[in-house]
Amino acid sequence: MLGKLFKGLRTTLRYLFRQPVTVQYPEVKRPVRERFRGRHELKRFANGQERCIGCSLCAAACPADAILVVPAENDPAQPTSPGERYAATYEINLLRCIFCGYCEDACPTNAIVLEHQYEISFYDRKASIYTKDMLLVPKDQGHGEIPPLLQQLNRRPSPPAQIDL
Amino acid sequence: MPDITLTVDGVTVTVPAGTNIVDAARVVNTAIPVFCYHPRLKPAGMCRMCLVQVGTPRIDPSTRQVVLGEDGRPVIAMMPKLQTGCTTPVSEGMVVKTVTDEVKAAQRGVLEFLLTSHPLDCPVCDKGGECPLQNLTMGWGPGVSRFDYNDKVHFEKPVALGDLIYLDRERCILCARCVRFQDEVADDQVLGFDNRGRNWMIISKSDPPFDSKFSGNTTDICPVGALTSSDFRFKARVWELQSKPVVCTLCPVGCNISLDMRHDKLMRVMPRENAAVNDIWICDKGRFGHRFIESAERLTTPLVRRGGRLEPASWAEATALVAGKLAAIQAKAGGAAIGGLASPRLSNEDLYAFQKLFREQLGSNNLDHSIGAPGETAADDLGGTLGVGRGTNLMELGKGAAVLVVGADPEEEAPVYMLRLRGIAQRGGALMVAGLRPTKLERSATSRLRYRAGGELMFVRGLLKAVYEATGTTRLAVRNSGLDELRAMLNKLSLADASAACGVSEQDLRATAKAFLEADHGIIVYGAEARSVGPALTQDLAALAMLAGKAGRANSGLIALLPGGNSRGALDMGLRPDARPGYAVSASRGLGAREMWPAASGHHLRALWIAGLDPAASLPAARAAIDAAEFVVVQDMFLSATAQLADVVLPAASVAEREGTYTNAERRVQRSRQAAHPVGESRPDWKIVQGVGQALAEMTITKDARSARDANAKGAKSAKGAKDVAVAVADASRWDYLTAGDLAAEIAARVPGYAGITYAALAATGSGGTWGRQANEAIYYDGTNYENSEGVGIQCPSLAEQATKTAFSLAPRPAPATAATAERPLLLLAQPLAYDGDPLLRGGKLAAHVPAAYVALSQDDAARQNIRAGDMLRLVSSAGELSLPARVVADLPQGVVLVPANLPDADLAAVQTGPRTYVMIVT
Repeated sequence: MLGKLFKGLRTTLRYLFRQPVTVQYPEVKRPVRERFRGRHELKRFANGQERCIGCSLCAAACPADAILVVPAENDPAQPTSPGERYAATYEINLLRCIFCGYCEDACPTNAIVLEHQYEISFYDRKASIYTKDMLLVPKDQGHGEIPPLLQQLNRRPSPPAQIDL
Repeated sequence: MPDITLTVDGVTVTVPAGTNIVDAARVVNTAIPVFCYHPRLKPAGMCRMCLVQVGTPRIDPSTRQVVLGEDGRPVIAMMPKLQTGCTTPVSEGMVVKTVTDEVKAAQRGVLEFLLTSHPLDCPVCDKGGECPLQNLTMGWGPGVSRFDYNDKVHFEKPVALGDLIYLDRERCILCARCVRFQDEVADDQVLGFDNRGRNWMIISKSDPPFDSKFSGNTTDICPVGALTSSDFRFKARVWELQSKPVVCTLCPVGCNISLDMRHDKLMRVMPRENAAVNDIWICDKGRFGHRFIESAERLTTPLVRRGGRLEPASWAEATALVAGKLAAIQAKAGGAAIGGLASPRLSNEDLYAFQKLFREQLGSNNLDHSIGAPGETAADDLGGTLGVGRGTNLMELGKGAAVLVVGADPEEEAPVYMLRLRGIAQRGGALMVAGLRPTKLERSATSRLRYRAGGELMFVRGLLKAVYEATGTTRLAVRNSGLDELRAMLNKLSLADASAACGVSEQDLRATAKAFLEADHGIIVYGAEARSVGPALTQDLAALAMLAGKAGRANSGLIALLPGGNSRGALDMGLRPDARPGYAVSASRGLGAREMWPAASGHHLRALWIAGLDPAASLPAARAAIDAAEFVVVQDMFLSATAQLADVVLPAASVAEREGTYTNAERRVQRSRQAAHPVGESRPDWKIVQGVGQALAEMTITKDARSARDANAKGAKSAKGAKDVAVAVADASRWDYLTAGDLAAEIAARVPGYAGITYAALAATGSGGTWGRQANEAIYYDGTNYENSEGVGIQCPSLAEQATKTAFSLAPRPAPATAATAERPLLLLAQPLAYDGDPLLRGGKLAAHVPAAYVALSQDDAARQNIRAGDMLRLVSSAGELSLPARVVADLPQGVVLVPANLPDADLAAVQTGPRTYVMIVT
């Protein structure tokens, strides 16, 4: 009888003395996988120029129509991005976004990367539209790295990205 | 031409002799990829993309007979090397193979080679997404290149070929489509090649660079992103655009255009194919001149004058004020105290509603569609009465057609006509250009005739005489009157006298008359210079067309180049003091624009309603009249000089923000769709008119109801009063149009020539391509959006074709008295310019192309008075004077001075006494 009881509680007792598996979110955050697709970031080149050239291919690839790009011509004296064109407006509606990563795939300059930030919530719908200022990484970080996905694919990025890689 | 049968990839096809292999293959939906070939241009064979295997039946050299094989079929001798499909004409029994390994290898090789010097910057290229190079690479190209990316040749990025067109030399594949377009179609030989090898590039040879009114078309036909327009530079990606079919209202050609919109904003303007109107081209004015629809200066709310200032008001307020004032003035002084002017750029619906309000509700015939400037010519109905007949298509004309251009400068007045008329000459038609001065069209003409100033009428009468001598009246087919007067005039006239008076030799007059008579189709095109002579000349042109049997038939008749995009429509819709819609002469003639100003200044005309015109900007008389008038309503897109003087300003929607139909110079009625939401609270013009009409109708009811009530109180015939009220209510319902289509339906029902032209019928007229939509159309037309889904429009019958009893007068009118005196020896003509002071061009890319005002005079006149270019000259006429810098023009005839029409800094109204003014020059 008692033996059977112990037998039944054996698993319980075993876990009683182990480290708990519950993660105390939000105090503690679990690391995500390397290829996790979280909130987008717009990257920069090492010289601080934006990688995004405003080509709208991300918007074209987006199955949820979550991206809006309005391009404009670079001022040759103070270019925002390499080449003639840059994104004057870049917005992602994160309520629409399904985090499929097609935009990342489509990007010829590896400007848009789905990073590991997953805490995305809003109090109102308008706040779900992330503008370029919110998506663009600060000037001193996030430049020059090929996203892990592309590194693994062992594929040469398309020509415009070769400018600085 | 004999037909030829050949085999393309095993499929037999029969095409006319002279067709090339690419076009022949196209008939059976076989796509041979091309870059440099374009169906509207002569083949060049530059890109080598259309290489195919070609074989012809073997001929026995001794017998000259086709050698037959054992199976009884001709033995095919394949050519040892691949042939270019675009430069190889088909021949009987030819065998073409387009998908063999050899051909595929050649196509892959050509593409790989083209891409070695291509920057592959598709993500930032404006052509990306509609680029033949992209598409052909995907379809026919190799998957990979053996060429190292880093070895590509780089050029400095965009070079401005002109201020409208940018060239990216890295992207250029040197197909010469742009060079050939400029040389062959536009006749502006301003592009060329420079250098060779890897440095081979397109350059502009002209000064100012890329000086052509058709430059935008080169960006359409460029098969790569080498030529892009500055207007659409990095505005959007092409797949994000929505093409909205619109009709250009900037000139009487009525080109079909697409407004490519994104998020309700205009991104670019593209041509829509319509073989009967503009083929696949548009001029730069249409392409770059539509930015006004997004101008920041557009009016957004109605404005009402309060305490001397125009202040924003609601529509209800403004409409009630307009209706109240008009009703009061009408009650006090009658309908004749109200005058209305509407722009010849408004749609037929607007114009119809406008005249309906005036004629039926206000009881006024004081209507016109011009501003009454001294230089304006009389209303011209020949385009409607004896104009080219139904079924006219200039694109089909070539051999057997004769076009007589009299006193017109199509390149400036209606640019696309220049291409159309040149096309007729290129296809073998006779293009006879007669004028006072050289025009660009003259370069394409088969014969050039230069009459002297003042000899225009004698020139046309000389032609008439020559025609009369040749055929008498045997060809006279339309109902006519005044033949006796014409006979009398012609009998008195001898050809030698006419020749002496006009300065064109007797031989030339005879030859021109003969060519015009003998042609199957004869068209007379006349423009501003001819109209400036007066009705005597146009009347004789009409007589010439009738006497030669070339009036009001398909492909034969008159084409009048009138100012404004819808002048024909305005005349047809009765925006004139003398006739109701459909040329129904009204019993009492009202005041025309020119008579309105003195009438208003003299307080006979108390209220003015001006829609889309700006008389105050250029006419001091109009300014004074508007000041004097009791009540002035202006309905416009902008706060024009006239609007600033108005009591009420009503904001009108632009052509892109509303639906409507427009009638072009050949009386083709075409439908334009709404492309954008109206700016602010602006409304389509017909809706504004309807609002006032409704308010007026309601006022009538209230008034009648009051009188009925009064009648009741007096115990009089109450039943009759009540009946009047009912009638008034029924009348009010006449202003119940929900859409422009309802108005179009009413026009179709009430205007004779427009019978059957409803929106449904317009939509059913199909796409306008001579090629139709075929499987491999994209190979030619990629990078463009020519597709016409909106129908090609319906041509109204000319009055001569309609079953009316109208007789067309042949009687010559008295020649205008020439006023050249020793004191004022020079004939001043207003020179129409495509890029003039049109307020719609302000703020756009074309504003820089509007010249500073000048007076052009001949070398002889300049030498006589010792004038050099740049000197300030005073032109003095009996009306006043005008100071302008001189420009000495080599080929201008002596005795003629030109001042550009409609330029803000050339106040022609100050010096003109009429369309033709005689002046003297004081240095």
